[in-house]
Order: sequence, then C-alpha cells, then structure tokens
Amino acid sequence: MIDSGFDRRDFLKVLGWSGAAVALSGCGNTSIEDGRETVVSYSEPADYVIPGIGVYYNSTCAQCDAGCNINGRVREGRVLKLEGNPDSTINRGKICGLGQAGVQHHYNPDRLREPLLRKGDQGETISWEKAYGLIAEKLKGVDGEEMAFLTGGMSGHLKVLLGNYLASFGCKNHFVYEAVSPAVVRAANKKSYGMAMPRFSINKAKVVLSFGADFLGSWISPVHFSQQYAQFRKGVDGQRGVLIQVESKMTLTGANADRWLAIRPGTEGVLALGIINALGTATGEIAAAVKDYDRARVSAETGIAPGQIDKVAALLKLRSPSLVLAGSAAEGYAHGSQNAAAINLLNHVLGNMGKTVEVSETIPFPQMAPSLGNTAALKSLNDGLSAGKYKVLFSYAANPVFTAPGALKFKEGMAKAGFKVAFAHYLDETAMQADLVLPLDSALEDWGTQVPEYLATCAQINVQQPLMEKLHANTRGMGDILLALLKQRRADEYKGYEDYYAYLRDALLKNKSALGGGKIDDDTFWNETLTKGIIKLEGPVGSLATKVGAAGLKLPVSDDGDDQYPLHLIPSVTASLRDGRHANQPWLQESPDPLTTIVWDSWVEIHPKKAAELHIVEGDIIEIASRTGTIKAQAYLFPGIHPDAVSVPLGRGHDAMGRYAKGFGVNPFQIMDAVFDKETGELAMHETRVKITKTGQRVIVVKDEGAAGGKQMGKKIAVRLSTDDVDLSEEV
Amino acid sequence: MSVNNLLENWAQFRHFHPVDDKPHDPYKWAMSIDLDACTGCNACSVACYAENNLPVVGKEKYQHGQSMHWMRIERYWDEDGREFPDQGAQFLPMMCQQCEAAPCETVCPVAATNHTADGLNSQIYNRCIGSRYCSANCPFKVRYFNWYDYPTTDNVWPAEMTQQLNPDVTVRGKGVMEKCTFCVQRLSAAKVTAKNEGRIVKDGEVQTACQQSCPTGAISFGNLVDPESRVHKQWQTQQVELDKDKQDKDEEDSGLRGYRILEELRAYPSVMYLERVRESAV
Repeated sequence: MIDSGFDRRDFLKVLGWSGAAVALSGCGNTSIEDGRETVVSYSEPADYVIPGIGVYYNSTCAQCDAGCNINGRVREGRVLKLEGNPDSTINRGKICGLGQAGVQHHYNPDRLREPLLRKGDQGETISWEKAYGLIAEKLKGVDGEEMAFLTGGMSGHLKVLLGNYLASFGCKNHFVYEAVSPAVVRAANKKSYGMAMPRFSINKAKVVLSFGADFLGSWISPVHFSQQYAQFRKGVDGQRGVLIQVESKMTLTGANADRWLAIRPGTEGVLALGIINALGTATGEIAAAVKDYDRARVSAETGIAPGQIDKVAALLKLRSPSLVLAGSAAEGYAHGSQNAAAINLLNHVLGNMGKTVEVSETIPFPQMAPSLGNTAALKSLNDGLSAGKYKVLFSYAANPVFTAPGALKFKEGMAKAGFKVAFAHYLDETAMQADLVLPLDSALEDWGTQVPEYLATCAQINVQQPLMEKLHANTRGMGDILLALLKQRRADEYKGYEDYYAYLRDALLKNKSALGGGKIDDDTFWNETLTKGIIKLEGPVGSLATKVGAAGLKLPVSDDGDDQYPLHLIPSVTASLRDGRHANQPWLQESPDPLTTIVWDSWVEIHPKKAAELHIVEGDIIEIASRTGTIKAQAYLFPGIHPDAVSVPLGRGHDAMGRYAKGFGVNPFQIMDAVFDKETGELAMHETRVKITKTGQRVIVVKDEGAAGGKQMGKKIAVRLSTDDVDLSEEV
Repeated sequence: MSVNNLLENWAQFRHFHPVDDKPHDPYKWAMSIDLDACTGCNACSVACYAENNLPVVGKEKYQHGQSMHWMRIERYWDEDGREFPDQGAQFLPMMCQQCEAAPCETVCPVAATNHTADGLNSQIYNRCIGSRYCSANCPFKVRYFNWYDYPTTDNVWPAEMTQQLNPDVTVRGKGVMEKCTFCVQRLSAAKVTAKNEGRIVKDGEVQTACQQSCPTGAISFGNLVDPESRVHKQWQTQQVELDKDKQDKDEEDSGLRGYRILEELRAYPSVMYLERVRESAV
C-alpha cells in the first residue's frame, strides 16, 4: 500500500472525519428516542447537504452598517463560520472580528424565544396572534402624531415596508437613531464636498492626515479602509504612504500612525487652520480666515509643537495627493461642525478634491437608500416622550435606555409612552422597559436587502439570506412582522404576499431589468442573485464641490477649562464593542482591547503623568463624576492620551441583555451631559467634563499583557525600521 | 562526537529534518507576517476561536493566565521614556512558530508533541498526559493547557452554541495541552484533494483561518519549498534562511526587514516577521 503512494495515515483521517460527522448527529439524541424527531439517513440527505462537506452561501453581515458581504460555511445544515465574500467590492474576502462573532449572535443562549407581554415585573409568554391583536387594539384610534417608531439605521426593502406601514397612519415620527454615527461629519461633508459621503481613496494618497478618524477600527467601513490602508502602506510608485493621526486619545488607527499627535481636546479645527496657514498656499477668503492662526497661537492652543506643525505642512506640500479626514474625535464638540468644516477645508487647499476625495455613486432606488442614524433623532424623540406625546412607541435595532446620555433621562421619558413595543434579539435594557417584547430572527436566519452608506466602487444592493433553518420556532423576521402589521392596515395591497420572502422576491423580480437581469428568466435571476449575494448597479453619480468658501467659519476661543470638572471625558468607540449591542457575544468580551489588552471589563485611561500627579496606580478604582452622574472603574495608565483627558470605552456596563454582557464593566453613556453640536443638533460626545477621585479600592487589571506592561527586555521581538533604513521597492 | 563538533554543526544535529541534504518534500509549511500591514485589529484571533473551537474562559480564568487564544496580539510601547508614544504602538501577532527544532518536542515524556514530515509541530491530544513540560520549555509561550473540562463541567458552549463547533477539529478535554496547528485540518483536506488529482497543493489553495480573515492581508502562508509560493519568495527576498540561527544579511545593514523572533535560541521558527516601518520625514 505504501509503495503505491497511498498514505495510510491520510486514509484513516478521512475515514475518521466522516465517522465523526455521523456520530455527531446521532449520539444521545433523546428527542429522537422521545419520538419528537425522526432519524433521517444520510444516504438521503436534504438538497445541497453532503455529509462531511462544508457548503458556502453568500449573505450580508449585519453586525454593523458597513455592509460587508459574507460567505457562511454550512455543514449538515448548521452555519459554522463566517468568511468574507471574495467578490465583494467592500470587504474583498476579508472580515473583522466583530463580523465573525455574528455566529455567536445567532447561537446565543440568551436570545429571546417567545413574545413576552408585561405582567407587573414579569414577562408572560403569549402567542404571535395575540401579540399582533394587541398591537392593533392599542393602535385603534391612535393618530399618526401619537405614535413613534424608533429604529437604528435602515435601508433596503425593510425600510420601504416600514415607510408604508407608517404612511398608513399618516405617521411621520420615524426616529432613526445610532448612538455612534458620523452625523456631524456627514453634514460638514455635504457643505464642503457637495456630498455627505464621497469616496475616500486612502490607497491613492501619499499622506493621510486623520483628525481622529478611526478608519482601521470603527469608522464607517473599517474592513474596506483596512484594505486600502494595506495598499497605501505598499505605496504609490514605491513610495510608502505616511499616516499622521491627530487626536486626544489614541485609537487603533492612531496606534498605527507614523506620527501620532496628542492634541488638546476640541482644538482639532484650530490645528487644521494652522496647517493651512503654514502651507501658505491658500488665497482669498480662505487665506483671510486662517491669517490669525499663526504657528505660535496654534501651538499654544493645541499643544502641538511649532516644529511639528511645520513638518506636517512641509510633508503635505511635498507629497501630493494627500487625504485629510475628519473623524469622530473632531466632531464630538459643541463646535464639532466648525471643526469638521475647518478640517475639510484642507482637502480643498491641498488640491485633493477629485484625487483622493472622489465622487461616489448613489443608489438608483432612493426609497431603498439608507436612512442614516444620528443622535439628533434621539433628542427629538426624547423631547416628545417627556412631553407625553406618544401613546404607542415601537423600538427596533436600538437600545436607547442603554445608549442615551444620562442627562436626557430617557428611561423616565419612555415610561410616559402609553404602550411600548420592542422588537429585540435579547431582553436588553430597552426591552426591559417595554410592555410587549417581540423576539426577532437572527441575521443568519432571515431574509433581507441592505444598502451600505459607504459605497466602495459602485452602487450595490446587498442580499441577506438565511444560512440555516431557524433555531427557535417562535422568533420572526422583522420583515415578516412588518408585513403582518401592514396586512392589518392594508390587507388588499399585501394579501398576495405570504411572507417577507415572497415580498422580497417579488419586489426584486419586478425590477429585474433595472437590476441587470433583463434577459434572463425569473428563477435564474433569483438564483444568481442569491448565489452572488450582491447586486451591483450603475447608479447616478453625484458631483463634488470644486470650490468652497471659508465664510462663517468660526472656531471658539478655547476656554481655560472648568475648575470644578477639570478633565475631558472621551468615551471611546472600540472596534469590537461599538455602542454595546453585541456585548453578549463572548468572543468579543474575551478579545483583548488592542491598545490596553484588557478583557471582560471597563477601564479608565489616564496619562501616566496625570496619574502620578493624582497618586493613581494601575488597578485603582476611580470615581468619575460629571454634572450628570458618576461611574466607577479601574484605572489603566495609558501613554496615548492627552493629560487633560480620561477615556472610558463604550459598550460595556449592561445591566440586562445576557450572561456575557450583564455586570461586566460600566456604561459611560450614563454620565454623559446633554451638550449638542450647535449647527446639526447632534450630541457632542466629547463635551462631558469630569473630575476623578480615588476610592481607595484596588483590583488586579485583567489583561493580556504581562503585569509589567509588556516589555521587550532588549530582545528583538517587535521592532521597527525608519524609512531611511529600508528599501521596499524589491519586496514581494 | 566532540563538543566542538556538536556546537559548530548544531543545526545539522538539532534539526529533525535537515534542510540541505534531506529537504522537506513536497511540503514545508511556513508563514510570513508583515508588521507594517498588521493593524492589531484582532480579526485573526477571533477567526482562530471560530475555526479551532477555542473556549472562552471568562474573566476569572483569564486573570489566572488561563486564556486559550492560540493567536494573540501582543502590544508593545517604545521604552524610551517619551511623554507620548508618538510613533504609535508595536503590534505583534503571536502564535506557535512551528519551530524546526522545537524546544517543546524534546521534553515531552510521551512524544505527544512531535514533528510532521511537512514541517509542523503537531500535538497529539490523546497521547498527551498533561505534564506541561512543553509549555515550560516554549520560548514564545504559545502553548495552552486545558486546566478545566471546558465543554462539559465548564459549559463554555451552552445550549445552541455547540452547533457552531467545527466538526473538523477536536474539542479538547481537561488535562491536555493545545496550540496553533497552522489549521492542520485545512491543510489535510487540501492535501487529500491535491493527491487525488495527482499534484501537490498550489499556492493560495489553502489558507489558515487567521490569514483568510486578515483585513490588511498581513499574513502569508504556504509551502516554503515551492518556489512559486508567495511565502517562499518573501523569505528569499528577505534573505531569511530556515536553518540558520544568525542570518548572513544581519552582518551588515541590508535594508531588509525580515527577521525571526528569538532566532538565537536555535529553535528555527517557521514564521518570519517583517519589521514595521516608520516614516522619518515627519
């Protein structure tokens, strides 16, 4: 046997695998013994199931709104692992940790399984018929003005259905809320670039100057930008791209910068104008706007050394095109719009328009285009709720009781709504306050379409299809729920659709020719669409603003601080936990924060210099007090933060949701003041001022780095070279 | 055999598979990781949890150093006492380096960890008796011990979570050592396919889970003895040779950034790292 080249060991391995596969399905399954299920022989497997062989299906990631196309490995009818879809223009076969944890959302032991109706403090299990009946009853005689529908960002056919449902009441109260969203930047982009979300070509830039845009971690479309970043590092014409990151708290992107500049919180716009001044190439209105921002003044206000400003300006001048990004750290202030406008001005001055800031296509079906979430929506919903305006409140894909800033007192406002319905995957903080909680299918067992806000190369509609059978009999897809609710209102119009799948299929087939399937028959088109998971489209191209003025650009004189609350609170957005909606996925809890390597808990980042001043050491439990409230968390001495600021990550500190989320860490949303950007009305996330005190308690910080903080002890473990000492041109 | 002879020709004696006169044939799996592309995002680590059935141990056990991350991201700061880390952090994905002369192999009392013909440092779970000598002897600290029975008594995969487990990979019980395998289950499957077609595995045909997910494509993986493979070309360009404990190029400033960690310990790792680069002009 060995002589014939047949490897006995490999033979046994193969045999062992298929043996194991059969054993898995058969072993100790009492439901079969009970007769609740029957044994089906693998000699007659279901369609597309080959025992022991993984099959891949395309779908769309629902862990964030970037709209990465995914490829799920399914074996014996179970989804095992999510990979990126290699044909995607957004993520090109790649996927982040958050995306991969989607399977843990699907298989989560704490998922809601039955509709629950509030009975005092308890939830009573009821049937879907009763739940729908109850909604109809509560909505009887309710005017469109008296109901409100709160959702997260929405797009595709689900948005269409929701729009139709609300229209049937004449209701205009659709509040689209995302706790973490680049809403101020969108508005500033619209003004300075002519479009809210142009295409940022990091890969074409020789220098990227980012003001707190964490594009490698959590900003807009991180997996897409990460790939562009890899190309950018390889360089255009062999010249490696240079990344300069300006922010008060180091993000993942900042940790990868060639030069990381710790700026005084809120002075990002000042630095931008200072750089324009130092460039000396601006004319007219812009030159007039920056003439007072000389090196000395800018340096004094921002804390960036004058020499550094010159170096940045010189590099930007030398290497063109560059790309300047305004991110969440710059927009998080009461003057956030002004900050972003000043930063965007740099792209005009540097001549990057049309080179690295490019026109983007838009989706040709405006009714499916994404409704983008923001925090101004939360404010207006909250105003309505506290005024007792709403008799019925619906909540979907949002958890405002957890994410609303403490100063808004959202929970109290919500209690004033007459009847509160939450569509939820978990019994989260908002669902706990609801009267009726309806359990949703996971994204891996539901149908849908999604249109990403950031379009990588062309307009596209992402298709989401079930990767496996539903795990729980009594969960429903949001599309099916909306369809059922619509049938209560407009039975005639929707009676032809048995379920959301039928609606979706019909809606796409009706537009077959516009979707590029004009010449093929319905079934072929539908199957091809599902196989690909993406519908790529030619969309109308917007236009970029070629000129921009500097009129109205007014940055506040930086204040001297606040005697009572001397420090800035920077609520940081981490790549894996974001606004906390996925905190119950254990892989994400145990995935160390890249910068601090802390797991399973919150922490307060404080600069070692400041810590020494206050006699704080690692693990001290610190009380952080703002005008709104206080939280307590362990201190972590972190060199990548401005000494005038402390930072606490968002996403942890749940008091509901599930076993992996509840009780781990603290929630900085709770102590956030209600300060808003003056122009857009968006919540200014970085405006909360705090003071910190030691409580006297101390814990051991649970982290991946060693107790000494991870030192190389003079060994060559992780090292770097200066560009002077390396030749990248010959590299493979 | 004099001591001098032994020391001078250490590589020859030490290697389980001498590279010169008896080269790996047809496979020698190896990796290269570009630290200039690595952003430290942790996607690889999560991919490893998903692919290899790694248990989530929870806060308390993590504190006791019992985490099971076969792939971890190490983060280092500059140690020069500046006020701010103004050139960023240093990230390093660290997993089993699949050493050619692995220190863990020689100390195993039951030969549960040994070298495969295709250059992997393999771990045979049902031969392992849990002496943990291998872990003590590993210079990279990438071996992880099952202190608890995670699947049963610890119930780390409650309810439906078990359905996510990869059937191609064993779920390990209490008392055995485990570590990165270079996704051997994927390698075996690819080798079987290739063998059935009468060829060897082509470059790019098989990916490790970490490599597949990496958003910046920092990880390359392949067959080092295949001259067409990207990994072979990278090692060659960087002039890093598998069977050396000191690379010739390091004698002078070569402008090359390939290196292996703790090479001087003569473990001959199969993972080459490419140094991070930082711009000098700013």
